[in-house]
Amino acid sequence: MLLEMKDAVLSYGKIEALHGISVHVEEGEVVSLIGANGAGKTSTMRALSGVRGLSAGSVVFDGQDVTKMRADQRLRKGLVLCPEGRGIFPGMTVTENLNMGAYTRKDKSAIDEDYDRVFDLFPRLLERKKQIAGTMSGGEQQMLAIGRALMSRPKLLMLDEPSMGLAPMLIQQIFDIITEISQQGTTILVVEQNAKQALSRSDRAYVLETGNIVKTGTGPELLDDPSVREAYLGVA
Amino acid sequence: MDFDALISGLDRHTLDGITRGSIYALVALGYTMVYGVMKLINFAHSEVFMVGTWTVLGVYTVLGATSGMGVGAVIGATVLALLAAMLASAGTALAVERIAYRPLRKKGAPPLIFLITGIGCSLVLVETFGQVLKAFFGPPFGRVTVNVPSVIETKVVFTIPGLDLPVTNTRLLIIIGAIVMMVALDTFVNKSRLGRGVRAVAQDPDTASLMGVNQERVIMLVFVLGGAMAGVAALLFTVQYDITKFDIGFIIGIKAFTAAVLGGIGNLRGALVGGLLLGVVEVYASQIWDSSWTDVTAFIVLVLVLMFRPTGLLGESLGKARA
Repeated sequence: MLLEMKDAVLSYGKIEALHGISVHVEEGEVVSLIGANGAGKTSTMRALSGVRGLSAGSVVFDGQDVTKMRADQRLRKGLVLCPEGRGIFPGMTVTENLNMGAYTRKDKSAIDEDYDRVFDLFPRLLERKKQIAGTMSGGEQQMLAIGRALMSRPKLLMLDEPSMGLAPMLIQQIFDIITEISQQGTTILVVEQNAKQALSRSDRAYVLETGNIVKTGTGPELLDDPSVREAYLGVA
Repeated sequence: MDFDALISGLDRHTLDGITRGSIYALVALGYTMVYGVMKLINFAHSEVFMVGTWTVLGVYTVLGATSGMGVGAVIGATVLALLAAMLASAGTALAVERIAYRPLRKKGAPPLIFLITGIGCSLVLVETFGQVLKAFFGPPFGRVTVNVPSVIETKVVFTIPGLDLPVTNTRLLIIIGAIVMMVALDTFVNKSRLGRGVRAVAQDPDTASLMGVNQERVIMLVFVLGGAMAGVAALLFTVQYDITKFDIGFIIGIKAFTAAVLGGIGNLRGALVGGLLLGVVEVYASQIWDSSWTDVTAFIVLVLVLMFRPTGLLGESLGKARA
């Protein structure tokens, strides 16, 4: 098992956002976490990446207990989050943003390979290398955020709402690229409101409601599940 | 009001203002960098500068350095004093961060607590030099102004032709020293890997940590760098004014803070622009009215900037815009 979060409780002050959820990801899988606004999807990602500490429960990554580790320490282990709302550095250029992804790495030749790989996946970024990231379109910023995450050489790539605010055609394109990244051998955990895309591309999925996991199954199973269809796919 | 005095000596007063402003600018860097990454005004920074001036005095005393030494001895003593002041100031800044701010950060204290703590640290340091050290060692510690030997003898190096403006070696040292340090720091922040980490934390601390930037390390780094710059400023200050005092940091600190706000706090180049501008404005004001107006003018400028352009001349931010 690559990642296992057990009985995780996360609070903001007195408000508990996660009430003891358990999630796991096997090596090579694409797993998605779906749910409505405020269900706790982003909180789960913050807890997994280490941006927020847990008040109870544990996170084990790649055979090591990382519960007490900070975000920057977890990143060094290969646990990489591409944050919600893209979270690029608006004042830096495209190249500088990508460099930030490789911040902890010293393997120069492998870094160059990864640049090539990122520019291969996102030719758009190559064209815009010197542009200030804050001036790019939403779709381009999302591509940059994913590219930057890949520059960290993730063992597990976690994506928080990669489709947020994008036009349907772009959503399709972003998910195609996520599938491609998975086929290249990176394990993926993706959080999405766009349940249809997420479920159809995932090996397994969890349904999150108000801080609890209410359902889990394979992608196709959940796509056929009547309650999921009604709540998240807009079909009765 | 006496504009004639200003106009007749405009070149001289401008040079005077730039000299003054160079020192403000160097001290302002400490405020601006810490603000950039922590959104905190470190009110103890003025004492980081003060410790630097005492360190210079200490080194000169130990070496027995005075005016009228040979060129080699002068350079040696000055360089030693510079390095010691940088080290002492950086150490003081780091100690303040470790002892006072870091425990608060771990507890998630609200911003106001940090401000009060900074003022507390400042008072502790001032009284250490004004009272505590005197009790142990006697003078020169205490509440009086102390002379620092003018190791470098002031000499006119050249005269700017056309203006007939004599430029002294000390002024030249101060202005060039300040500019060299500024350029070095600016290059470090904009070009190096660690500098990129500093900018990343300034723009978005959470995302920076997701890139593997150790925020605690970056915070330590900006305190150390800001402290070292204050140490350079301390040496240059003693070169020009030949004095120190237990509370000398107060007025320099508040001027440097004004300079940082004037240029746009959080912006390194803003500190330079703000420092030089403030220095020049002050000297002009002291000519138009008299020298008692120097400080008044500085703070009128601060109030005006805060009223009409709260982000300063060059705008906030260590890493440019925030989304």
